[in-house]
Amino acid sequence: MRKKISKLLVKSLNKESPEFKEQSNKEDIELKKHDISTQYEQNLETFKSIFSVPLNSDVKVREFTIRSLNRRAFIIFVGTMVDLEHIKESIMEKLLGNDQRSAKIQDIVSFPMEKTATNIGEITDLISGGVTALFVEGDSECYLFETTKLHGRSIEKSDNEVIVKGAKEAFNENLVENVALIRKKIKNENLIVESQNITKRSKNSVFLVYEKDLVNDELLQMIKDKLAALNTDKILDLSMLEQYLEERPRSLFPTILYTERPDRAASFIEEGHIVLLMSNSPSCLVLPTTFWAMMHSPEDHYLRTPYGNFIRLLRFFALFVAIFSSPFYIAITNYHVGMIPPDLLMAIAGSRERVPFPSIVEILMMETGFELIREAGLRVPSPIGPTIGIVGALILGQAAVQANIISPIVIIVIALSGLSSFIIIDGSMNFAIRLTRFLFVFSAGFFGIYGVMALFTIGLFYLVSLKSFGVPYFAPMTPHFTSSKDLLVRQIPLKEKFRPGYVKPKDMVKQRKG
Amino acid sequence: MESGKLGKREYMSIAILMIGAKATDSNPALLYSKVQNAAWMVPLLSAVIFFVGLFLLLKTMDLFQGKNLFSVIQQLLGRYIGFFLCLVIFLISSFGISFDSRTYTNIIRSFYFTTTPNLIIYAVLMVLGAYGAKKGIQNIGSVGYLVVFYVVLSLFFALIISTQDSTLQAIFPIWGPGKLEILKQSSLKITLYAEFFLLTMLIPNMTSIKEFRKSTWYAFAFVSFQISIAILIFICMFDTSLKGIGYPFHTSIGFLSLGLYLPNVEILFFVLWILAIFVRFAAFIYLNALMFGHLFKINDHKFLIPALTTIYLLIGSIPENAIEVSLVFKQAITNISGPTFFVISLLLWFVALVKGEFKHAKNRNGM
Repeated sequence: MRKKISKLLVKSLNKESPEFKEQSNKEDIELKKHDISTQYEQNLETFKSIFSVPLNSDVKVREFTIRSLNRRAFIIFVGTMVDLEHIKESIMEKLLGNDQRSAKIQDIVSFPMEKTATNIGEITDLISGGVTALFVEGDSECYLFETTKLHGRSIEKSDNEVIVKGAKEAFNENLVENVALIRKKIKNENLIVESQNITKRSKNSVFLVYEKDLVNDELLQMIKDKLAALNTDKILDLSMLEQYLEERPRSLFPTILYTERPDRAASFIEEGHIVLLMSNSPSCLVLPTTFWAMMHSPEDHYLRTPYGNFIRLLRFFALFVAIFSSPFYIAITNYHVGMIPPDLLMAIAGSRERVPFPSIVEILMMETGFELIREAGLRVPSPIGPTIGIVGALILGQAAVQANIISPIVIIVIALSGLSSFIIIDGSMNFAIRLTRFLFVFSAGFFGIYGVMALFTIGLFYLVSLKSFGVPYFAPMTPHFTSSKDLLVRQIPLKEKFRPGYVKPKDMVKQRKG
Repeated sequence: MESGKLGKREYMSIAILMIGAKATDSNPALLYSKVQNAAWMVPLLSAVIFFVGLFLLLKTMDLFQGKNLFSVIQQLLGRYIGFFLCLVIFLISSFGISFDSRTYTNIIRSFYFTTTPNLIIYAVLMVLGAYGAKKGIQNIGSVGYLVVFYVVLSLFFALIISTQDSTLQAIFPIWGPGKLEILKQSSLKITLYAEFFLLTMLIPNMTSIKEFRKSTWYAFAFVSFQISIAILIFICMFDTSLKGIGYPFHTSIGFLSLGLYLPNVEILFFVLWILAIFVRFAAFIYLNALMFGHLFKINDHKFLIPALTTIYLLIGSIPENAIEVSLVFKQAITNISGPTFFVISLLLWFVALVKGEFKHAKNRNGM
């Protein structure tokens, strides 16, 4: 009943989608369903029209005669996406220069990767992706050579997830190199790199990377179905795909791990997770993800156990400091004054004496100021970068205190919470913490500690109900699953025997004896 | 672990938070007013008495694998008597939750937010309970499990530092007003454990009744121990003045200090205590909605939660002041609910015995 009413409401609010004056491309779509003909002229005509040659300046068509066969032929490729040297050496020179009579193209051309196709649509897609197509007079098939060569930056250090000990390399925009980065860490024939086309217009494809003998088939199928069900024109980047895939795109908290570190991706694959890669994205998505994965850093494992656990506990402590320091300040100064030791109370009261604002306004001003400095520091061109620090520290800190706009203790509180928020390395989680902090500030202003704890409990209820591809957010702690207990603290590596039970891997136990 | 099922850890956390919280409300003072310095024995003795009832109840429930309490009652006692009994249980538990929630509101108001209107504190508490209940029992259990360690640790920490200011001699004379009186009060105060009776509604949410039984016994033993220890320490700390103190836990944490520098640390304990209370009421409201849904054949019992919560809020707002709550309303519920649930447990077992259900089960197993 409720659903019906809400549907009616939605219907009455949303008018029918407006009509646009569109140009039909029915003919083009129809054309792509056909196969190529054996007629040389017709093929040439078809592909020239599809690729709008000569309007399209980087699509190259080269006509010639294959001497050994004495037949006319043409190749077509997108000049900006191919390796021209390679085409010249192993395709053109061979075709033109070969004198010996031979019937098969495969025997003439020395290019290593070759396949054939007949469907016009398929061939068109491949050419758009940088493949060179060879059409020979009288042949009903077209020969395709994977000559793709894209330009991009080389493998560099990880910028956003910095660690001291351990591998430094990060994913870059080149998909082939990204796959190679994972492959060189997992030298196993069961590592599958499966590609799936997900968009209709730009034909973006996603690569699913997983280990065949570990991954749970239902989970894999679920992800594949979800990818197949995406009905969009274009998804250019992995970070866009992340939003399409998430169960709750409006939620403050992320449910998919986005990392730029291949070592991290490899370790998740080894535990039975699925990693998504996309060309043009210097990162990967790890599915499914839990709260713990967001809070952990690869360095927790690279460091020796006590040191690793130390920084991990420090991070959890920082999480609480980042969220609660400002709200606690407000709650204690406004509602629970008795809690502060008398001397400290005097000091706080003394410093607040000449400040005209209530403490919540002070905190909100400084929090906003801090967020501004942070965002500005990120966007500012690097030559003027250092000025931001000076402006921030000097103007917003010292001058504000001297002008009696805020009290010095607020600066300490804000600096503490701001500093702590940097320790949470996952970008999305970082945002989640920063935003929830504002909610906590308001709840503290409204109702002191009681309000803070009420909001905290709501948050907990909300978080435990979150699911990432069917996996509860706090698994394997609660609900309980068998795992290596790599949660608040980690074990020594020898004791980490199990893969996490929540991904239901085919092989639970690592390094099984015998 | 099967998806959608309540794990044993989560169930135990709910049980410990729901019943263990009783050491921190007006119960210790109520007990003290009846049996003076033998009050710490009452939880243990009541536990022994209630154990009999619960044991027989679980034995009976064992015959109906995976059925909840209300299904079992209706199956054993027939449609009409069964319905009537279930209604009685639901009503008792409804009044229980109303006055209980009011008690906790009073605690929060009188100790921490003395100038805030009662209704607002109460409304926040109930809205939170409703939100949690709406998320379902698995999620309540998960939150419970996340907080239970810290809550129990903080309680024991508070108790341990309370011993600094207490004298052990306060427990003498050890039998208080006399053995008979202790026994009488113990049998009346089995209400302390009444929630275990209601928690049998959750059996279908667990993977097996065996798991449920085992977790129940663990939680039961722990909770009775916890309440008893807490009362013992309150007696040692406050001695005869405990009678006049409404909520000894909060009085004692207000009294505590960590060294000379931190004189008032009650907020630290309050933070964890309030977490436990939120989980407790979320579970309580969920159970009541579950019972109501079962009584009137409403499958989507989650939709009932807001309405029920509002009603409880209104009932809980009836008493004019805190004294009235704890001395009139809560006293009445306390004296009724435990013994009623105990009698129902015995009755169910007896009916099952007379009907020969145990024999049937044995035969079935034998075959």
